[in-house]
Amino acid sequence: MTAQPAIRIDRLDKFYGHYQALSQVSLSVAKGEKVVICGPSGSGKSTLIRCINRLEEHDAGTIDVLGTPLDDRTAQIDGIRREVGMVFQNFNLFPHMTILENCAMAPMLVRRQPRREAEAAAMHFLEKVRIPEQALKYPGELSGGQQQRVAIARALCMRPTIMLFDEPTSALDPEMVSEVLDVMVALAKEGMTMVCVTHEMGFARQVADRVIFMDRGTIVETAPPGAFFGNPRHERTRAFLSQVLAH
Amino acid sequence: MSEVSGDLPLDAPAGRGSAVYDDLKSRFFPTPLSGLATLAGLALAGWILWHALQWALFDAVFTGPPEACREAAGACWAVIHARWRLMFFGLYPHEEHWRSALACLLFLGVIGASCMPRLWQAGRLAVLWIAGFAGFLLLMRGGVLGLSYVPQEKWGGLTLSIFIFVATVLIGMPLAVALALLRRASLPLVARLAGLLIDGIRSLPLITILFALAVVLPILAPGALGSKLTRVILGMALFFAAYQAEIIRSGIQSLPAGQEEAAKALGLHYWRRMAKVILPQAFRRALPPTISQLAIIFMEVAMVMIVGIFDFLASGNAAYGSGEWNFANVEVYVFIALVYFVFVFSLSRYGAYLERRMRVGK
Ligand SMILES: Nc1ncnc2c1ncn2[C@@H]1O[C@H](COP(=O)(O)OP(=O)(O)OP(=O)(O)O)[C@@H](O)[C@H]1O
Ligand SMILES: [Mg+2]
Repeated sequence: MTAQPAIRIDRLDKFYGHYQALSQVSLSVAKGEKVVICGPSGSGKSTLIRCINRLEEHDAGTIDVLGTPLDDRTAQIDGIRREVGMVFQNFNLFPHMTILENCAMAPMLVRRQPRREAEAAAMHFLEKVRIPEQALKYPGELSGGQQQRVAIARALCMRPTIMLFDEPTSALDPEMVSEVLDVMVALAKEGMTMVCVTHEMGFARQVADRVIFMDRGTIVETAPPGAFFGNPRHERTRAFLSQVLAH
Repeated sequence: MSEVSGDLPLDAPAGRGSAVYDDLKSRFFPTPLSGLATLAGLALAGWILWHALQWALFDAVFTGPPEACREAAGACWAVIHARWRLMFFGLYPHEEHWRSALACLLFLGVIGASCMPRLWQAGRLAVLWIAGFAGFLLLMRGGVLGLSYVPQEKWGGLTLSIFIFVATVLIGMPLAVALALLRRASLPLVARLAGLLIDGIRSLPLITILFALAVVLPILAPGALGSKLTRVILGMALFFAAYQAEIIRSGIQSLPAGQEEAAKALGLHYWRRMAKVILPQAFRRALPPTISQLAIIFMEVAMVMIVGIFDFLASGNAAYGSGEWNFANVEVYVFIALVYFVFVFSLSRYGAYLERRMRVGK
């Protein structure tokens, strides 16, 4: 049983109308593994991780999350979403709720936690992302970096087994990137299973077990960070890396 | 005095008074010609105000028989004094007017209470409104607790107008939410049907809907959908819901897609996503047009007169239309307009307050 992967994706196809966004993508993520996905814009990175919690429906192939196949049964999808946290590029905090309410709502409704328990847990995770003092403010009153840390805390409040990150730092001003990455590194050290779409190559070097390079809807190259950055095998990977690392 | 000294720094520059003077001068008297225009405008406004006051107050007659008005040059408010009960309570039995007044006040109280953010919880509002309706019907209808029975046909006046408005909104608003959500349903057939229903109702004049339900339906299907008042309220609610549904839908449409995705990713199922994330934000965004729609429907209640329901406006017509007060129609309509103004203006101010309040929570 321990050998069962957290996520198993097998020959996935995804179409938007006639446009094929993913073709024959296969990927397996072990429990506790950290995978970083990179690639040029439009290569299908977001589409791939959004298929994992079914924000997008795939057209062919299979996805198993924690041993449960993703299909049309809504009960299963809700069950899987409970186990899979997601952090978005644009934070997507709920602007009409305080930080504390943002964090405590889903555990109360979905996990049926009593309010006091949910709020205590929310405070615990807000402390972990180092903004407990903002708990009673509204998202609009926080900086981008703070909002993204709240978004991470909100996802963690559901006690997920897997965390998905879709370019969590690319909407941030440069000086706020590191405060979010620090939180993610800490999370990685605790053994969370993580799939991150990011172009923060320093972060990939530091925490990734594997780096995946996507282009035009396919996985071009998969390698541990040392080999990926030191000795990329494919021409396209090399071209991409020279662009990204040039900054 | 204290207000002024609180606002102005005590060591204001000495030339301050003349700065105000300069400002006024440059705004209203920049050239001799526009100075003249300003003076002419002021004179005209003053003249209108003077005559209005003369008519409404100085030369007006406030009490007495119709004859007292005939000699006076001003307004004949005596008609209101003589006929206000008819306008407020319609044909409700005279000795029971206190019940209609109490029922009206009860509803106004419940409306006022539900405007207070402190009570904004589904449970509290439900209790408040169920109690409000029960109390209203008990008072108006009677037949229990020693109150004599008064049939619906005798209800009328301002009390009835407010009842129709409140019932229309309470039935129409949930219907509007349902229609808005159905029109966004992922099943194309459901979305199409909802769209067809909304567009269909919006293409019909309110009068047609009221006629169909009040006059035609009883011929085709006698006894269907309850009393005439009930049918008229259902028609009003349907009409209101069709417009309000589109207002709500535009609020939903204006939200970034990420809001629903974030709620999905947290494992919230459809109803919870709508109830906790989408609709609260959609209503905030749709607040200004919603207030307009409420104001419009408040006025539209007067349409029920056409199918023979004795609302505030119809009662007003009756108040001067009975011979002796025939000449005082202007006064009656001015009074009716004033009452409408008080309600709709308060509604608009309340909307402005809500907007200010919600901006804080953004
Ligand atoms: N909802 C959609 N409808 C139609 N086409 C879409 C949709 N979402 C994405 N696409 C297309 O699918 C392709 C892959 O998109 P995706 O968002 O997965 O790329 P990405 O690798 O995340 O890019 P970026 O780095 O810009 O975020 C793109 O060509 C995009 O135009
Ligand atoms: Mg993307």
